[in-house]
Amino acid sequence: MLSTGRRPVVDVALRGAGISAVDHVDRAKVLQRLRLGDAVFRHLTRAAALVVLVILGGIIVSLVWGSLPALRTFGVSFLYEEVWNPVTEKFGAIAPIYGTVVTSFIAMLIAVPVGLFIALFLTELCPMWLRRPIGIAIELLAGIPSIIYGIWGLFVFAPFLQQYVQPFLIAVFGEIPVLSILFAGPPYGIGIFTAGLILAIMVLPFITSISRDVFEAVPPVLKEAAYGLGCTTWEVARYVVLPYTRVGVIGGVMLGLGRALGETMAVTFVIGNAHRISGSLLAPGTTISATIANEFTEAVGDLYTSALIALGLILFVITFIVLAIARLMLLRLNARVGG
Amino acid sequence: MNSSFSSPLYAKRRRRNVITMALSYAATGFGLSWLVVILGVLLWEGFSGLSLAVFTEMTPPPGSAGGLLNPIAGSLVMTVIAVLVGTPLGMLAGTYMAEYGRYDKLTTVVRFINDILLSAPSIVIGLFIYEIMVAQMGHFSGWAGAVSLAVIVVPVVVRTTEDMLILVPDTLREAAASIGLPRSLMIRRVAYRAARAGMVTGVLLAVARISGETAPLLFTALNNQFWSLNLNAPVSSLPVVIFQFALSPYKDWQKLAWTGALIITLAVLALSIVARILAAQRKTS
Amino acid sequence: MSVATVTVPTVAHAPGNAEDLTEKISIRNLDFYYGDHRALKDISVPLYQGKVTAFIGPSGCGKSTLLRVLNRMYDLYPNQRATGHVRLDNDDILSPSQDLNLLRAKVGMVFQKPTPFPMTIFENIAFGIRLYERLPKTELEDRVKQALERAALWEEVKDKLGANGLSLSGGQQQRLCIARTVAVRPEVILFDEPCSALDPISTAKIEELIDELKDDYTIAIVTHNMQQAARVSDFTAFMYLGDLVEFDETTRIFTTPNDRRTQDYITGRFG
Repeated sequence: MLSTGRRPVVDVALRGAGISAVDHVDRAKVLQRLRLGDAVFRHLTRAAALVVLVILGGIIVSLVWGSLPALRTFGVSFLYEEVWNPVTEKFGAIAPIYGTVVTSFIAMLIAVPVGLFIALFLTELCPMWLRRPIGIAIELLAGIPSIIYGIWGLFVFAPFLQQYVQPFLIAVFGEIPVLSILFAGPPYGIGIFTAGLILAIMVLPFITSISRDVFEAVPPVLKEAAYGLGCTTWEVARYVVLPYTRVGVIGGVMLGLGRALGETMAVTFVIGNAHRISGSLLAPGTTISATIANEFTEAVGDLYTSALIALGLILFVITFIVLAIARLMLLRLNARVGG
Repeated sequence: MNSSFSSPLYAKRRRRNVITMALSYAATGFGLSWLVVILGVLLWEGFSGLSLAVFTEMTPPPGSAGGLLNPIAGSLVMTVIAVLVGTPLGMLAGTYMAEYGRYDKLTTVVRFINDILLSAPSIVIGLFIYEIMVAQMGHFSGWAGAVSLAVIVVPVVVRTTEDMLILVPDTLREAAASIGLPRSLMIRRVAYRAARAGMVTGVLLAVARISGETAPLLFTALNNQFWSLNLNAPVSSLPVVIFQFALSPYKDWQKLAWTGALIITLAVLALSIVARILAAQRKTS
Repeated sequence: MSVATVTVPTVAHAPGNAEDLTEKISIRNLDFYYGDHRALKDISVPLYQGKVTAFIGPSGCGKSTLLRVLNRMYDLYPNQRATGHVRLDNDDILSPSQDLNLLRAKVGMVFQKPTPFPMTIFENIAFGIRLYERLPKTELEDRVKQALERAALWEEVKDKLGANGLSLSGGQQQRLCIARTVAVRPEVILFDEPCSALDPISTAKIEELIDELKDDYTIAIVTHNMQQAARVSDFTAFMYLGDLVEFDETTRIFTTPNDRRTQDYITGRFG
């Protein structure tokens, strides 16, 4: 027990009075009154959380409902017919689906390796003082609205490709068997290839920042152990960092893919809006979102509108599946890291 | 001394390393150069069309001079409404997930669904709102446009609210509980206050996101050539006007499209910078 | 074999000591579970009014768990439950009908890590007061001042009541938390290792405070510092692996403990 002298307690009122029964009754009353508000708030938050589910449900229901006329008329053939004739009211989705898939594929083909290499640069090679500025630059790129990519693509990139790049590609691949078909002329400038390139630039910052975040999460001890054995930077990246972050990277890639599949404005300007599948990547085509964006407000007739909504449903299903897989993979990653 | 330093295997490893490191540098340069090119063109084309008239005149018919007053106004109005509707909804949902329902099944499901909605194609959102509002009401409207933007705002705010609230240490919650604070007051007066900067950042990010959204507005708010703040009718918006003008064959319109694009990009950049400053302040406090 | 008692451990009064010991909180047959893991085993111990009771024991023995039962703090988390009887005066704390907020207003807690609210110093204290009472401004200011004086912090902060609570030093923050707890006028104050994050000078100040506070409150303190327990408390309970091994007057526990394990712990054989 302390033997120091007691300090005088200034407030005599606190002694004993604070423990009187009166206070307890008052406090109980106050807390009783607050209880209703407490319950209301709790239910409000729960309802709000449910609204998120309702939104998703609403999207699915409304899309299905809107597509019914088209799906009933065309059945499964909707998925593989190429015809798209508003006059005769015959619609088939294969051209948009093809365009969506191919442009996204081209985009990922370019954006994933480039993004991974940039992430590698940022985590291993980049001098410390440069990391934040470059990181910010990447985020800037990610923040540019897609319509800007669209008009830039239309006015700057496509003409550039038409003038310089595409003739080059056509000439170079002209003799090679398979590639000559893929890169056959004429050089339109716009087309599937152009759209894929622009998507690549759009998706690049996304893949880069997710990969960089995942790379940075690798415990330094792991890397040090590899360096300690005499591994080169590349070997550390390939044999330690990449395997460790594999799930996260794949998750990030799939998220990027989901974005690419659903992207509208960047693609609409430069895809060419041709409802057909050409052998050449340099030819115009269309994607699901570009079709909807271009034609929805002019669609006359319920069947036409319904066909467009059916396209939207297909797109939603595809992206939902891709995003769900991505999220599941990232969940697994978090579980492993214990986050 | 390790003789493998001179072995052909080591040389090969070194060579491979040099190549891949060079590729990393090249990739970074490649990525950054796109930023420079795009922003450069945007600034060049956009600035040349920038004048006071842009902010004071209406959108012109083709071949005449004009401005972007009505689309700017329309965008502002719809953005504000979207934020006013989407933010409370998102905050409440995020609060449930981080506080009351932190460990329950509903939260797991909602989080999963929310993350999917976060990346869902915005054109599909537009179709959704078209079906439930435009088709039902029989006409396009600014309300429908605002609601479709709100649907995009909600997942962003839900995510940042939940993330920020989870960062608030449990000891703070327990301290509040220990003086008898009822749960809702503890959340509102203590947890929100602690997470405030982060949640504001989330709202700013949501605004930046919807500022450039075109697709959902294409068939909800449609477009309006004239000055109109009647939300019950089609309302002009900057992204849609850019879309229309850029795809047109008219030089005047194309010029305005660039200027509009510049305005949007500057707004988005400004919002991102403010959000970043707030985030940095939070880290230092 | 544990000496944990099922009946209330009786304390032999020292000759000449005519004090009446009232049980403010009585704990009987308390079990606590984290999921399926039984963390507290059949604990029975009294907390006497106006006295300081210390809980000591090696890490993981359950002393913090026990403290957190007394204000039902564990209720905030899933998969944690308590069975048995815990009474505050005549209220069964563990009963589902117990108003938790009211309970926590009566049983305050000071945590290991100082946790001021993200508000000004004044607001930190006023916040709790305002919760229960509508006071005119001057009266509120008086109450805040009283609480800060009670926590021996007034002199140091009286000129900066508008500063953020987090701008204070660790020891000051902890005293702020004590002031905050006291402002709500509890009957019992629980201290969960209040000094383990503080420097020796702050620790000494807080130990002094506890000695003063016990005139008006019943105090329970969990500490891993035995010397602190010896300095500060009237009664001590030694816990080991979820059991209450021994409970007695502090002087007796530290000089002539009954149980071998108590002896070993006190002499530093383990923990």
